Amino acid sequence: MLASGHGRQRSATRRRRYNRKEALIGYLFILPSIIGFTVFVLYPLFSSAYYSLTQWDGIKDPVFVGFKNYIYMFTKDPSFIPSLQATILFAILSVPSSLILGLLLAVMLNRALPGVRLFRTILYLPAVLPSIATLTLWKFIYNPQVGLANQVLEFLHLPTSTWLGSYQMALPSIVIVGLWGVGATMIIFLAGLQAVPQELYEAAKLDGAGAFNLFLRITIPMISPILFLQLVMQIIGALQAFNQAMVLTGGGPGFTTDLLMYSIYQHGFGNLGQFPQLGYATAQVWVLFIMIIIVTIFTFRLSSMWVYTESNLD
Amino acid sequence: MDATMSKPAMPTPTERRTKKLFGIGGWYVLVILVCVIMILPLMWMIGIAFKGNSDIYKIPPEFFPSELHWENFLKGPEAINFLQLFLNTTIITILSTIGSIVSSTIVGYGLSRIRFPGRKIWFYLFVGSMMLPGIVGLIPMFHLYLSLGFYDTWMPLILPSWLGNPFFIFLARQYYLSIPFSLDEAAKIDGAGHFTIFTRIMLPLTSPVWITMAIMSFTGTWNDYLTPLVYLYTDSKWTLSLGMASFAGGFAGVATTQWNQYMATDLLYMLPPLIIFLVAQRYFMLGVSSLATTARNQ
Repeated sequence: MLASGHGRQRSATRRRRYNRKEALIGYLFILPSIIGFTVFVLYPLFSSAYYSLTQWDGIKDPVFVGFKNYIYMFTKDPSFIPSLQATILFAILSVPSSLILGLLLAVMLNRALPGVRLFRTILYLPAVLPSIATLTLWKFIYNPQVGLANQVLEFLHLPTSTWLGSYQMALPSIVIVGLWGVGATMIIFLAGLQAVPQELYEAAKLDGAGAFNLFLRITIPMISPILFLQLVMQIIGALQAFNQAMVLTGGGPGFTTDLLMYSIYQHGFGNLGQFPQLGYATAQVWVLFIMIIIVTIFTFRLSSMWVYTESNLD
Repeated sequence: MDATMSKPAMPTPTERRTKKLFGIGGWYVLVILVCVIMILPLMWMIGIAFKGNSDIYKIPPEFFPSELHWENFLKGPEAINFLQLFLNTTIITILSTIGSIVSSTIVGYGLSRIRFPGRKIWFYLFVGSMMLPGIVGLIPMFHLYLSLGFYDTWMPLILPSWLGNPFFIFLARQYYLSIPFSLDEAAKIDGAGHFTIFTRIMLPLTSPVWITMAIMSFTGTWNDYLTPLVYLYTDSKWTLSLGMASFAGGFAGVATTQWNQYMATDLLYMLPPLIIFLVAQRYFMLGVSSLATTARNQ
């Protein structure tokens, strides 16, 4: 943001008024995004708000029904509340575990010892694999008879599980698959850790601070902006998780992994042997969207309490 | 655990040397253990990909294959028409990667180097649209593409990237602002227009940023599942993600099919992103650190 201020200041001293030809060229340059913004942001935003108030099978024109979809969703639909619960539980399980594990691994690998680069590469590797490749692989890992997961448990003389087929373990199993890609979080934290000035640690150590205090009083505050950005992005991502339910569980058993995105897909496009319910699916999209907005605003509000900012000149 | 690890390299008093060596040894043990855990699923997968048809049902299962069955790497791909899907995915990925780089760098240039009224507002609108979850567009866009006759074509997978990617625009603008404006002025005195400055000065000077974009866009498109799932119906037009998901779906969790061949195919599917990552690691890190600095400058 600072750089943009400089640029503007400089060009402002150079030329006070906008040049008309320059303005035209400027708009030509950003035209692709103006079209993109209109087609992919404005149009869907307004039309989906309308579609959510209609009954619509995708073949005939949508019929306006007011808030019927929303009322049905919260009062009659037997699958909506469980799927909302599954989605929230998934976010609660996956986001903190990924952040904590990612930070621990980053701290662990933030050392200048021989081989550390190789270790970073290995830990990051699963994160670059295509999501479908990973998920289908884990489908076999979780196979109760021949899968790796039970083999490992047996090897360690621990009780085995039916994983994706179990009411208790289905959702945690999906979370574990996500944790295999924790390298993505780790690498972002690592970039943040490396930017923390070493003098801060030196100074604190002169004052006799222990390792735990250094971590709590220097590391955490210094990387809190990254922690915050990660938190927001991961919550938004977790609430929109889809592939896991689609590939691994099909929403089951029961509604334990019936994530909202999966439910939306099933209502709108799934072949449940019935007409697509696009209006109803769009209403669910809006519930999810509003949920995301609320969580994001809430996180931003709370952020001033714990996110460290270097200067507040503005 | 974390606390001791967070210690950056300290000046070493001699009396604590042995203690430190012990600490380093412990660190290696821990890190190697974590690495083994992370890499174990992949090793298991490679092992199965080489196993024979009867080996995969052996009870108790063995970790290493008794003999190497290379034919899995031919029979598996045949089962899902791999070559065709590979070609489809490659074409889609390349076209949308080129599209997102071209459009995002052009827009990024416009927002950072050309002075026109409203450019700040447009910038915030574009970047703000990153916060809009993709699902909001899912159903209206599906309807739009359907009425344009684009259902069951690659258009919905390629077209959006030609109209600017908000995150890439943000990256490009940030980079361009760090290039001295005196370069533009000099070029302008020589009679160069914005397009010349953009292609001759800006693009060559900012290759790290568009290589980073290329990698991000490549992996993003290669890995995408929901968009092809919604739009592609005919299986000869499918991408690999669809093919692999239906390949695995056929097993329905019961091991009655040749999943050794499946694992072999999955390895081939993973290979392109993996190779790109190993070759261009530096640029992966660049994308990451730009994200990190973004967070700090917010």
